[in-house]
Amino acid sequence: MTVTRSFPVFAVVFAAAYAIAYVICVEKNYALVTYHPAIYEWGLGVQKAKDGPAMYWFGWMATSGIGAGVIALAASWLPERLARRLWSGWSWAVPVAVMLVFCYLLRGYFLR
Amino acid sequence: MFTVLLIVHGLLAVALLGAITHQAVSVWLPARKPAGTFVRRFRSVPATSYANAIVVLYLVTAVLGAIVYTEYRVVVRVVLEQLDLWKTNGVFELKEHFAAVGLGVLPAYWYYWRTPLSGEHARTRAALTAILAFIVWWNFLVGHVLNNVRGFGS
Repeated sequence: MTVTRSFPVFAVVFAAAYAIAYVICVEKNYALVTYHPAIYEWGLGVQKAKDGPAMYWFGWMATSGIGAGVIALAASWLPERLARRLWSGWSWAVPVAVMLVFCYLLRGYFLR
Repeated sequence: MFTVLLIVHGLLAVALLGAITHQAVSVWLPARKPAGTFVRRFRSVPATSYANAIVVLYLVTAVLGAIVYTEYRVVVRVVLEQLDLWKTNGVFELKEHFAAVGLGVLPAYWYYWRTPLSGEHARTRAALTAILAFIVWWNFLVGHVLNNVRGFGS
């Protein structure tokens, strides 16, 4: 399978941007969709719980995926001399940092 | 139906766990001598051949996990909250967020495992493999423990 020359830039920027966008979406509750599992109902945007809990996880991933996709597509149009400077390590360093941020954000569960 | 999906999700997770562990060990602890013992054979697998399977298994396992999660949210989580099992809920919260972060690194992981492997990006490749291995192990163990806490079919 052949990939375009800009794909590595897309992949690295996507990994970093998605992780950052995801933690922001979780913290600010920017969910593109809400799912109400007790009544098997989907809703657009952030909705309050009705007849049971509301699930925003799908919405957070959708918002982050779209946001990171747009950012990564824009980055993949960078001139080659700039693209070559992009450190491939951002693709793992940022997700690792975000995972640590989640450990910190969720510390309340473990300190009760 | 959810029980069947949960079992299939678990079986796929086992396959994913095996594949990513083989790959991670062969990257971080490669066998330098000809494979004689079981451990050395475990370390000397052709890591590249696992990459596509890992991407597909991760995606399918995540999709099934997302479907099962809807049932978990209604049937299991509420009970855990009533029982004040906050640590158990906390490790599951981490599981869902780690799984989501793992989805985001898949394109980069897939790209850096394409053949011919680039020596220049060996460290990135190894780090991406380690992250996915950590996420898969964490999610597998947490899922297993949570299943035990609530009890099968209860």
